[in-house]
Amino acid sequence: MIKIEGVSKNYGKIKAVDSLTFEIKKGEIFGLLGPNGAGKTTTIKILTTLTKPDSGVCFISGINVIKNPQEVKKIIGVVPQENNLERELTVYENLYLYGMLHRVKDIKRKIEDILEVMGLRDKKDVVVSTLSGGLQRRTLLARALLPEPQVLFLDEPSIGLDPHIRRGLWQIIRKVKFEGRTILLTTHYIEEAEVLCDRVGILSHGRLSAFGTPQELRRDLGEYVVDSFDDYGRLFSEICRTREEAYKIAKNRGNGVTIRRSNLEDVFVKLTGERIKEE
Amino acid sequence: MEWFPVFLNEMLQFKRKLLRLGYIFSAMMAPIIYLVTFGLGLGRTVRLNEGVDYLTYLLPGLVAMSSMNNSYSWVASSLNLSRLYFKTFQVFIQSPIKPSSIMIGEVLSGMVKGIFASLLIILFGFIVNSSFRPNIIFFVVLLLNCFMFSSLGVITGMITKSHEDTATYSNFFIMPMAFFSGTFFSIDRIPSSLQPIVYVMPLTHTNIVIRKESLDFEGLVSLCVIISYCIFFFIVGSKLINRYSD
Repeated sequence: MIKIEGVSKNYGKIKAVDSLTFEIKKGEIFGLLGPNGAGKTTTIKILTTLTKPDSGVCFISGINVIKNPQEVKKIIGVVPQENNLERELTVYENLYLYGMLHRVKDIKRKIEDILEVMGLRDKKDVVVSTLSGGLQRRTLLARALLPEPQVLFLDEPSIGLDPHIRRGLWQIIRKVKFEGRTILLTTHYIEEAEVLCDRVGILSHGRLSAFGTPQELRRDLGEYVVDSFDDYGRLFSEICRTREEAYKIAKNRGNGVTIRRSNLEDVFVKLTGERIKEE
Repeated sequence: MEWFPVFLNEMLQFKRKLLRLGYIFSAMMAPIIYLVTFGLGLGRTVRLNEGVDYLTYLLPGLVAMSSMNNSYSWVASSLNLSRLYFKTFQVFIQSPIKPSSIMIGEVLSGMVKGIFASLLIILFGFIVNSSFRPNIIFFVVLLLNCFMFSSLGVITGMITKSHEDTATYSNFFIMPMAFFSGTFFSIDRIPSSLQPIVYVMPLTHTNIVIRKESLDFEGLVSLCVIISYCIFFFIVGSKLINRYSD
């Protein structure tokens, strides 16, 4: 459904995206994972026609994004990282204008439907700037879904949201997947990637360091981690292939040791030497 | 009609601003200060060769200036903010409408804002000067002036790298035009060595045509210059939107 081949983008001397190549299957949720500045947003901007790459090609549903952006725009929906709703307008006005831009037929009925699905019916006449952060994110998602896009791009969909609101948003994203849409999301929340994504790619300095299902990546790394602290409070994590191996290491470490399942952050640290939540 | 949602977006926001009333006063403030200071104050002592009183001479110039300021500033500023800070311009870029449609929507919205501010000055002009009689040429050139400066506003809005840059462009291009393009005094009074520069300024030609009772040769030439600027600014603005890359 989405194919990226050798895409690079530089901003001056900074390589935002460096020879990126990967494919996303139809109907899957694919997560691009990485710290700030890893190139996640630039990748989304290139795929959504907002940024022109310096080199490489990308296709969405067989359409060349660089050569034929107008056709691509007809089949994609975008939820950007920053809230780019018209703050002075109401929820309904935002959706109506977006629907007109995307030539949505039977627009009024579709807005009513999407407001219902997203739980925004009672907010439709509320000015966006007065909504909470969570409701604004939901409005952004409703707006992106209004033209019924085949591919949905979500750039840090739950950034800055409270945990319970984040979980509500995840439910909606899953519902969208079950409608048969392909979703590419970027996140630096490990839990989000593990809960939502069928496959993930770990980006570091504009390059893909790892690619696969969260389970595959964990399995390749080792499924157990022994965490311990030294006398100076420094954290040491040791990755083990089996539970027995983890117990054996933990016994030798003394008190204050924990054994846990490995996660994508462990994969990331192992691959890049950086922590995902680092700025 | 691809441009309509872009235009409607601006109009809905304009309506909200109008309801706050502050906009109406701010749009009227500068021209009315000029009108009172130069027209009703200093103007009483001014004698013109053209045989008209100064207030009658000044009013069309103030309308032209006001339409320029409002068409240009609103578009340049709103586009700059929506592109760099609110990122709402990106919604247009990511939608399947042609770049020229975005341009048309932005320009038409700028024209509405310019015409609205101009109508307020015209209304005020009728009140303070009963001999003020705008004709059809006046209104045609007013529309063209709004189109021209809205298009220029798009260019500024697209090339500026920060909101402060908008003020810089305004100080270097719009402000000199407001004072030296024949708004307050005839361009004949400007030293002949500087006149070529004045004739390059688009507002100069608006000020020439807007005061004509009938379209003579001079008026026709200026009208052609205005139309040429309109086409040029529109094409450049459309190209900048087309080449947009974050």
